[in-house]
Amino acid sequence: MSGSIGTNHPRRDAEDKLRGRTLFTVDAEAGLMLHAALLRADVPAGRIVSMDLEPARRMPGVRAVVSAPDAPGIYGVMVADHPLFAVDEIRYHGEPLAAVAAETIEQARAALAAIEVVIEERTPLLTMAEALAPGAPELHPDWRDYELLAGEGARDGNVSWESTVVRGDVDAAFARDDVTVVETLFRCGRQNQTPLEPRAVVAHVERDRVVITTSTQFPWSVKSGVARMLGVEPSDVRVIVPAVGGGFGMKWEMSIEPFAALLARESGQPVKLVNTRQEEMQTALCRENAEIRIRSAVTASGEIVGREGFVLLDCGAYSGEQPFLASMVTHTLFGSYRLGSARLVSQAIYTNTPPNGAFRACCGTYCVAALERHTDEICAELGFDRQEFRRQNVLGDGDLGPTGDVFEGDVLGPMLDAMDELRDRSPRHRPDNDRLLYGTSTTVGTWFIFVGPSAATVNLNPDGTATLVTAGVEIGSGSTMQAIPQIVADVLQIPVSDVTVREADTDAGGYDGGVGGGRTTVSLGAAGAAAAAEVQRKILDLAADMLEASPSDLTLDDGRVVVDGVPSLGVTIKEVAAQAQARGGPISGSGSFTGTGNVGMAGCAAGHYIGALDLPVFSVHECDVAVDPDTGHVTVLDYRVVQDVGRAINPRAILGQVQGGVVQGLGYALHEEVTIDRRGKVRQEGFETYRVPLAGDSLPVQLEVYEGAPSMGPLGVKGAGEVPILNVAAAVSCAVADAIGRTVSEIPLTPPRVLGLMLERDGADVELPHVPTDWREAVVADAEQLLAVAPR
Amino acid sequence: MTTELTVNGSPRAVHNPPMTPLARVLREDLHLTGTKLACGEGFCGSCTVFVDDEALASCLVPVGSVAGASIRTVESMATPRGPLAPVQQAMKDTDAVQCGMCFPGILTSLTALLDENPRPDRADVETALVGNICRCTGYERIVEAALGLGTETGAGA
Repeated sequence: MSGSIGTNHPRRDAEDKLRGRTLFTVDAEAGLMLHAALLRADVPAGRIVSMDLEPARRMPGVRAVVSAPDAPGIYGVMVADHPLFAVDEIRYHGEPLAAVAAETIEQARAALAAIEVVIEERTPLLTMAEALAPGAPELHPDWRDYELLAGEGARDGNVSWESTVVRGDVDAAFARDDVTVVETLFRCGRQNQTPLEPRAVVAHVERDRVVITTSTQFPWSVKSGVARMLGVEPSDVRVIVPAVGGGFGMKWEMSIEPFAALLARESGQPVKLVNTRQEEMQTALCRENAEIRIRSAVTASGEIVGREGFVLLDCGAYSGEQPFLASMVTHTLFGSYRLGSARLVSQAIYTNTPPNGAFRACCGTYCVAALERHTDEICAELGFDRQEFRRQNVLGDGDLGPTGDVFEGDVLGPMLDAMDELRDRSPRHRPDNDRLLYGTSTTVGTWFIFVGPSAATVNLNPDGTATLVTAGVEIGSGSTMQAIPQIVADVLQIPVSDVTVREADTDAGGYDGGVGGGRTTVSLGAAGAAAAAEVQRKILDLAADMLEASPSDLTLDDGRVVVDGVPSLGVTIKEVAAQAQARGGPISGSGSFTGTGNVGMAGCAAGHYIGALDLPVFSVHECDVAVDPDTGHVTVLDYRVVQDVGRAINPRAILGQVQGGVVQGLGYALHEEVTIDRRGKVRQEGFETYRVPLAGDSLPVQLEVYEGAPSMGPLGVKGAGEVPILNVAAAVSCAVADAIGRTVSEIPLTPPRVLGLMLERDGADVELPHVPTDWREAVVADAEQLLAVAPR
Repeated sequence: MTTELTVNGSPRAVHNPPMTPLARVLREDLHLTGTKLACGEGFCGSCTVFVDDEALASCLVPVGSVAGASIRTVESMATPRGPLAPVQQAMKDTDAVQCGMCFPGILTSLTALLDENPRPDRADVETALVGNICRCTGYERIVEAALGLGTETGAGA
């Protein structure tokens, strides 16, 4: 065995990154390169009365100026509602109006200032409550005519999408005389991903095609998206992705690439466009703000016989990811526990705010927080032990998930047991200070692996090494730099260092569904393993000829092909590779993978892109906190994680992901919040006002990797990089509630907010009058129709 | 305006308006892109370089103010074909690196710390990194690597 699996192989890209040699997109240089800048709206809502670009065209150094008429396409994730530039109507502060390319960035910015724009302002709808108020104007009066790009959901005015779940008779469950009904509200703000490398792109035209070098997580999406915006075929766009300086979901969707492409086409020169930090703060595709009402009917013996939920997700001015994420509300807010019956409405709401997007575990973070706060409130109301109640109710083998899908394997239960053991052996840091309030929590969470199509090619080179070609991007997580070459090396039984990884390029790697959703090691790993398996078969066939043996009697072992039972008889893979040059030609293999497309029980879920989880993934988090009663300051004393990874390909790399994800989650739980002022402008313009965790905010996370849960991934692997942030807001909120003895319904738990709760200040408690309580009134779909098709 | 300065041991003359941030001069004129420019406001620390012997956020240093100074960037921490500096090697050994954007600045800040205080404790390391944002790692391995250097091999580069 080459020992490539389960071992802590180092990152092949570490040394270049440490020497300062790695060239990110922001570092790209090209001959005669122009620099671009965007004119952005400085009002959140209004009509463009006129815009005169001519003064900009006459400015020094300017080579191209483009605006809405140059970009005819409309894009989106589920609903095509998003033009590249505002067309007549401005829907958010920061929306692009025009783009300029000039010889220097200073010239480009000066030219922007010369553009004459007249805007007739409108009253913006800045909150979901405003957008849903009776008589509120529609942000998209033409919503009925928009093209649907994936699936179908009920829509109505400012409700850009609705996902619903109906399973069993919830009305009957709540009407039972042996249940207690517990209701919980939860609200969260936006979180900015803030990768250190901003969104950046260089575009040029080559042989009538647009070639785009960009900092993205999803090259094939940029390829099709740019083609759509430019009105050309996807085959006319090539996307190359060097090392990406962090993504965390923000680089999942296409963003600024089409601007550079348009300007490159217009000017005939390479064009570089890099967002400033201020632009990144103002227009990041943040984790959305959301508002949640959840209630459950629970018996005295602790059975959850009915659960009902209403969730509003703010998609901002364009729907983007949120219609997709409405599905994931189902699997997170209504995940983890056995439910006798379930009814849920999730709506993505248009507002005059910057569009939101994907951020590591997306809506899962706040849905798990809301669910786990709710679970603790159920326990408090009915007098259950918080850990025992969870152990009794978590999903196990054969249990039904929220949409009636059957779960495989007992996972969360044994993970709770593993947490007991981890707690017992982990150091506990409790300061000797009676003045502080101490609290602790145990939380469970369910997330998913976004399996989907991936392709890979493995070339066996004449020297016996292999080259792995995919469109998988290295965003820092190590999936393409560590895990996938380890998987390929394992199949071929060659050293991991003998597997070269080709940088992502849509002209080289086949289609891939992007690096995100925890899918990379699963989907690209499976495709890579399949490609390597084809290479392995060809090696064995040729070696069989060379050794005059049957291929079935041969095995690959440590760089050699050996005859079973006669280890001394064999040839090296290098000899086989060299021999192939003369006999049959060079060896290569291709492989592919996609998910099964689980949809759950018929009639349960409507408007769901993800009807049921192909590959669920679970985590258990605990934390201990101390709250200062004088200031409301929360200190996290200890943090413990049991994470379902399927199988650990590289345990040390997994710990790196868990540590990073938990600290990012602590920022979300405690102090990171993007807020919007009454002029529709994001208040936080940089790192001075948007404080992300620093070294002094960190603490060492205690991790127990849980292996052995069922997985369709190669070698039984599940993605490990996305999940670590899932439960953090839940663990912190529950621990703070435990410490202060008050209901916690909102994150981040800043000192003023915690102090407000402790002092019972006015406004400290969350109220959500616009989040409906009556299910039939809440749905924009036909409620009776949903009930008629639902399984009872 | 012409500014003469020493960069990574070589005398250089650059021609920029005096208020041009040193970070831009290093990246755009001298093509030393190891120095990053991730916020431009002195908060993220990805542009930290040595100006004479002080670790500074070069996005806030006007090039006109460093005439005659000696600038050292991450590219000079190790010779191109030579071994990594101890602080670089420690990061590699602990598998600390993820996206890598923050490391040139973090390596510089830690080198400055270890030059001054060869035996830092955890609080010293956290304080030294107060001007360096890393969004990937959760810092723990970076802190561990720095503490390991303090106890085992003394100062960094």
